Amino acid sequence: MKLFDPHIHMTSRTTDDYKAMAAAGIRALIEPAFWLGQPRTHVGTFDDYFAALVGWERFRASQFGIKHYCTIALNPKEANNPKIAQGVLDLMPRYLEKDGVVAVGEIGFDDQTAEEEKYFALQLELAKQFDLPVLVHTPHRDKKRGTERSLALVREQRFPEERVLIDHNNEETLPLVLATGCFAGHSIYPDTKMDELRMVALVKKYGSDRILINSAADWGVSDPLKVPKTVAEMRKAGIADRDIQKIAWTNPIAFFGQTGRIDHAELDGAHYDQSELWEGNSVLRGQAPEKR
Amino acid sequence: MIASIHLLEEQFAARPAAKAWFDTATADTGLASSSTFDDERFLLVFSSATRRLGKAAFAPSEAERERLRAQGIHWQVETWGLDELGRAVLLAHAFERLPPARAAQLLENCYARADNRERQAVLRALPFLPDRSRFVPLTVEACRTSVQSIFEAIACENPFPADEFSELAFNQLVLKAFFTGVAMSRIVGLERRLNPELARMAQDYAAERRAAGRSVPADIDAVTRPQRNGK
Repeated sequence: MKLFDPHIHMTSRTTDDYKAMAAAGIRALIEPAFWLGQPRTHVGTFDDYFAALVGWERFRASQFGIKHYCTIALNPKEANNPKIAQGVLDLMPRYLEKDGVVAVGEIGFDDQTAEEEKYFALQLELAKQFDLPVLVHTPHRDKKRGTERSLALVREQRFPEERVLIDHNNEETLPLVLATGCFAGHSIYPDTKMDELRMVALVKKYGSDRILINSAADWGVSDPLKVPKTVAEMRKAGIADRDIQKIAWTNPIAFFGQTGRIDHAELDGAHYDQSELWEGNSVLRGQAPEKR
Repeated sequence: MIASIHLLEEQFAARPAAKAWFDTATADTGLASSSTFDDERFLLVFSSATRRLGKAAFAPSEAERERLRAQGIHWQVETWGLDELGRAVLLAHAFERLPPARAAQLLENCYARADNRERQAVLRALPFLPDRSRFVPLTVEACRTSVQSIFEAIACENPFPADEFSELAFNQLVLKAFFTGVAMSRIVGLERRLNPELARMAQDYAAERRAAGRSVPADIDAVTRPQRNGK
């Protein structure tokens, strides 16, 4: 079965991870723009970061037969920094028309401040303007309230719900999201957020419509193979292949494909050639290039 | 508050190496004399503290502790590293010497390119500095860190958040403390900042943990128990 990881921060991962992911069946992924673990102090570092997401990182993924897409945004945490917030928003249009950019995200709430709400709303506007869906991060702290506020803001802004993916859901927030027209993402984590068996229980209870799973792997303790591992647990629990296929492949394509920027033929091919170069750089360090 | 940092500075007297570093530092940066203050030099000296002073706790004697308490320092400072003490005292001197805006900019510069221990020192020094409420944005930002030692430098054994944070920022700090396994007893002034919204957030957190089949922090009662409205 071909698998899609619709939320993973590959910039923080190694080529070993790419290899293992490809071997486990992951053929496509989405890398949302997020925060790098410590606050950035200049708008220019966002410019280089976004450029890497549509450039070098896409190339790196391609060298392992994985199709790389990304989402671009000012993340909720850094929306609180008045020195950079507006500058990042001013940069975004340059990237939002690009081919590999399939949503505005991650936007949403973190501490649930007035600034976060302001930039959340402004970025919903940007998404409308560029005809893109949005990926909405929900906070770790006070998650249920944060999810309610996110859904309320989407409604107030009259943003089409089928173009909203609310991410990092748990037992308490999933029913709230499914009661709307939004899609619901789940980040399967080693210790926090959601784990494989809890996810199985949720799928048994709520089915597979509008439900996605991801690893949200980044620079912290996380696991880039959580999508295949959760798929294995769903199989073991007797969940039908048709539902698994929907959760781990069809739903992400249906959601992000609303941009018209996901080429199905290209996804089916998944060939690669490691003798290619990116601005003169190769991912190889003297090894013989592989091809598929 | 500046008076109490001089009390901390006295700790150097019994430690000749630290005293020597501090005297050189104040001379080199122009802090000691009426000569020109050198910001760039200050940043270098500030960074050098760990290498020169080491990270060992400065561990005052019981008599010294008593004097600190008498000066109103009722939170724990004895676990500060000697390097952190050196940096805090250095900053306090700069705040005495420089016009407020320039001193604030210097502190921001120390923080912006700081390593983790330097950030800890800046955060721990804040309660000793004048007009400290201007550093609320910096400290709220510090709470967003993923580096636990930095989060604890502001959240634990530090009176700054209870004295200066808005209710929203303070509540977020408490929730983050639960998330990261920090004991409520380490948050200075918690009792005085309890509020109904925080109780609601903590109750929701407990419910979320139970729904996920996870344990609830043992000291969650410290913020969920009934209380009067307001600060």
